[in-house]
Amino acid sequence: MSTNRVAVVEGNLDEFLASGARAERLLEAHEPLRAGTALTARRAVELWEDQVLSRCLDVAARELKREGEGFYTISSAGHEQNAVLGAQLRPTDPCFLHYRSGGLMAARSRLVDDGTPLFDTLLSFCASSDDPVSGGRHKVWGSRETWVPPQTSTIASHVPKAVGLAYSLSRAKKLGVQTGLPDDAIVCCTFGDASVNHATALAGINSARYAWRRMNPTPVLFVCEDNQRGISVETPRRWIRDFFSRLEHLRYFEANGNVDEVWDTVALAIQTCRTTRQPTFLRLRCHRLWGHAGSDVESAYMSQEQIEAAEARDPVLTGARRLVETGAATCESLGEIVRTTRERVRAAAREAASRPKLVDVRTIVEPLAPSDPERWRAAATAAIPASDRTEVFGKRLPEAAKAPTRRTLGARINDALHDEMIRRRELICFGEDVGRKGGVYGVTQNLQTQFGRSRCFDTLLDETTILGVAQGAALAGLLPIPEVPYLAYLHNAIDQIRGEACSLQFFSDGQYANPMVVRIAGLAYQRGFGGHFHNDNSIGALREIPGLAIAVPSGGADAVRLLRGAVAMAAESGRVVAFLEPIALYHMRDLYEDGDGLWLSDYPVPDGSPDSALLPGEVGIAHADHSDVLVVTYANGYRLALRAARRLAEEGIRARVLDLRWLSPLPMDEILRHAEECGAVVVADECRATGAGVADAIVCGLVERGFRGALSTVRSADTYVPLGPAADVVLLSEDEIVAAVRAVPGVPA
Amino acid sequence: MSRVVVLCPGRGSYTEASLGSLDPDHDLVRAAERRRADFGLEPLLALDTSERFEPARHLRPAHVSPLIFVKAMIDATEAARGHEVVAVGGNSLGWYTALCLGGALGFKDAFRLVQRMSLLQEELAEGGQVLYPRMNEDWSPSAELAAAAEAALASSGGEALPSIDLGGYVVLAGSKKGVSHLLSTLPQVRIGSVTYPIRLAQHGPYHTHLARSVSDAASREFADLPFRRPEVTLIDGRGRRHSPWSTDVAALAAYTLGHQITAPYDFTASVRVALREFAPDQVVLPGPGNTLGGIVGQVMASEGWSGVHTKEDFTALQARTTPFVLSLGLARG
Repeated sequence: MSTNRVAVVEGNLDEFLASGARAERLLEAHEPLRAGTALTARRAVELWEDQVLSRCLDVAARELKREGEGFYTISSAGHEQNAVLGAQLRPTDPCFLHYRSGGLMAARSRLVDDGTPLFDTLLSFCASSDDPVSGGRHKVWGSRETWVPPQTSTIASHVPKAVGLAYSLSRAKKLGVQTGLPDDAIVCCTFGDASVNHATALAGINSARYAWRRMNPTPVLFVCEDNQRGISVETPRRWIRDFFSRLEHLRYFEANGNVDEVWDTVALAIQTCRTTRQPTFLRLRCHRLWGHAGSDVESAYMSQEQIEAAEARDPVLTGARRLVETGAATCESLGEIVRTTRERVRAAAREAASRPKLVDVRTIVEPLAPSDPERWRAAATAAIPASDRTEVFGKRLPEAAKAPTRRTLGARINDALHDEMIRRRELICFGEDVGRKGGVYGVTQNLQTQFGRSRCFDTLLDETTILGVAQGAALAGLLPIPEVPYLAYLHNAIDQIRGEACSLQFFSDGQYANPMVVRIAGLAYQRGFGGHFHNDNSIGALREIPGLAIAVPSGGADAVRLLRGAVAMAAESGRVVAFLEPIALYHMRDLYEDGDGLWLSDYPVPDGSPDSALLPGEVGIAHADHSDVLVVTYANGYRLALRAARRLAEEGIRARVLDLRWLSPLPMDEILRHAEECGAVVVADECRATGAGVADAIVCGLVERGFRGALSTVRSADTYVPLGPAADVVLLSEDEIVAAVRAVPGVPA
Repeated sequence: MSRVVVLCPGRGSYTEASLGSLDPDHDLVRAAERRRADFGLEPLLALDTSERFEPARHLRPAHVSPLIFVKAMIDATEAARGHEVVAVGGNSLGWYTALCLGGALGFKDAFRLVQRMSLLQEELAEGGQVLYPRMNEDWSPSAELAAAAEAALASSGGEALPSIDLGGYVVLAGSKKGVSHLLSTLPQVRIGSVTYPIRLAQHGPYHTHLARSVSDAASREFADLPFRRPEVTLIDGRGRRHSPWSTDVAALAAYTLGHQITAPYDFTASVRVALREFAPDQVVLPGPGNTLGGIVGQVMASEGWSGVHTKEDFTALQARTTPFVLSLGLARG
């Protein structure tokens, strides 16, 4: 029969406090615990109060679960020494915390006058909609007032954005963007000794060191709460020390031992990070109590001796001993702290359990994708003052180019980026080869020359880092446009969008946002060059991300207008927008015949006209007067469909072509309207057939909306894209579109 | 024993009904009268046993503050016998009572503080306080009234300032010019039988920087006031908690003689913290009067505490055999 280890640990503490142990002399409040420590008797007791509160909340979490009222039992028990960080960091030192941060948050809540950590935490255990952090969506540690952006943190995927924020602080200041933080703010990021082994965490730490090596101030304090175990798997002895203490460009500290020793080491680590602006790594020794979570039975993989050894090192118990032996407190006073805190928590838990839960989808999804088209339109189409543009473009305004007047999609995106950087001084562009080279395809050319290295810069070659920098920069008040060089590379880092960037508004109930427009070069049709990695034709992984908007231009003028809409969505509503750029169309000039120049476009001038931007739902239509069949498509597919339509017209088949422009949210109202007008639909999807494109969703959407006309799809084959001529064999072709339209029942043959 | 939070009343709580509430034989009354003699002021019992209520006399700061303080102390001390007091707070003047009740100041010292502060207030000749609602009759928040208060402050040219956050009401303060501006600018509104804005009689521009001279004088005169760690957690006018085990006594003194006087008093925050962090079985309001009863109810409604979301919910909760808010002044009055 298993023993209730919660009761054992509680009993150990009670037993000590009942022992009547006492120091020979009680310390005055201002006296240090020992000669040479900065920790006074009063601060030490205050800290212990916070640790006890955290402990009592963890006990309550398990009781609430037993009663069917609580839904979270991953506890902070044994990690309460992190309260030392909460007590010493400033409320203006942003913190990205992992899930055992109860002590830290209890201490940090003292930094605001009217903090209510006890009740706030209980509400989150109960998943009540009154939870002030996530509104009942998840148990997360967060706070708007004390700069704790929330996340789930289970796989340390928050490390890159913490680095990104540290990296962006000085950049924001240089650009005159208000961060709301003082110049000497540092960023704290905590994680466990097991989760630090995640590639994402290592990438984050690596990028911080890299940034410092390149002379960028990167004041991030990494805190590894080392309990020497990841769920059931023991961490090898000295694993953390052996690895992180030997890395260059990273200051290393270890906090272990009595609370006063931990206090002083933490103070030194914070001071080092704050004054040198260098990435700093602190290993904080912790001891996990009561298993990984409530459902985890430690005895399945730990011996009784191991369990008891961890319990003997319980920081609340050892802290009590230290306070008593030094004379900072008596057993009686500590006993009162425990008694009254238990009572407070028990009483408040009853109230928390009675609080409302989230009950409807509308409320749950509300912060995911805030929508405000009127505001977006106003922001996206506002005229950019001519004088500002002349200052940057000189006499070479994009719309005034003479030879030629019409330009490619790649060139137009470049023009649009210039204009958006003129419009918003907080806008920054970065990625691999984005700065000096001007992008692999020249799309970011001249931006660094025009706007300086603070606003357009190269990063190291790691997509996780790029997206981490984007999130951090956004939190610092910048408006990032990171570039992911190829769609296939995104999958290496997509959790930074899926698990982090797009979830922030959800987990923070809209209190935090990380607006950004992620430019991704992708899709296929590069005449056999590049193979899979440069021709990836799957957007399934992007389409399923809640809250993410996806824009895909086919032509240059559309790209300009879509980019303006995307930037406005980010700037005005904190949205994350993926801007998928078809590589094969970057330099495309012709549509039907060589030299016709029909794929070039004029520049939509940012002159305040309402159609100078495109928002979700706004589709492109070619041959609006045709109504035999509707071809729904996008990007390369749109160009192929236009060519197919011309061939079909010669046969007397009048096809209308719809360019989706937005792959998420899908413009279903517009699709349905045109489908009804035409009576038959062919979806031409260049992504591979299974789950990679939008064909399934469009067909399903039309059927669900009552469309009863003929419906068919043509898609690329279910395969990676091969090299050479074989690529054309697997990709959606013009001929396939023509054949599909011909096959529609009732279409004039 | 039920766990209770005690919230001590401010200066607006003394009314005609409060006359005759002091027990002449009570130790605290006797102790208070000795201090009154030290100050050369008329006995509290002389005021308490007056045949009729004379606002100009009874509501004079030097009289009304100690009357309320002593009465609240007597009530709260009695209540403490039948309950476990888990936290103590108060509104404005009630903060001094809370300090005494919580054990951070002895009675003699607290009385001296109360009495001297009231005299210093009288020296603050100019300005005053105005009470204005920001809720509707049914306690639902009124964005319109809240905006009117904000607008009146904004258009005062710095002569009017926020003073106390008081549940469904706000106390605004200002110089003489600022008070006139508030009274002429704030739209008149009727809640129950009362028309607002109301100028609070004989109240100075407390809890604003206009009371800086009071704070300076108090800091000088009370530099040696023996503050000590409280015996029960105190919740101050920012919502900050001061525990019996870790209170920074110097910070407590500095707050009492500084910030508390010259910056807005957020009673709403202190009630909110009392509820959320202590989850008491009851809230006890010592007398005189019952000015804080509705205010606590309004904070409960805005918090949704104990299922209270509306005035009706609160009334129903109070109608139970054991009301949640135990108003001692009301019980006797």
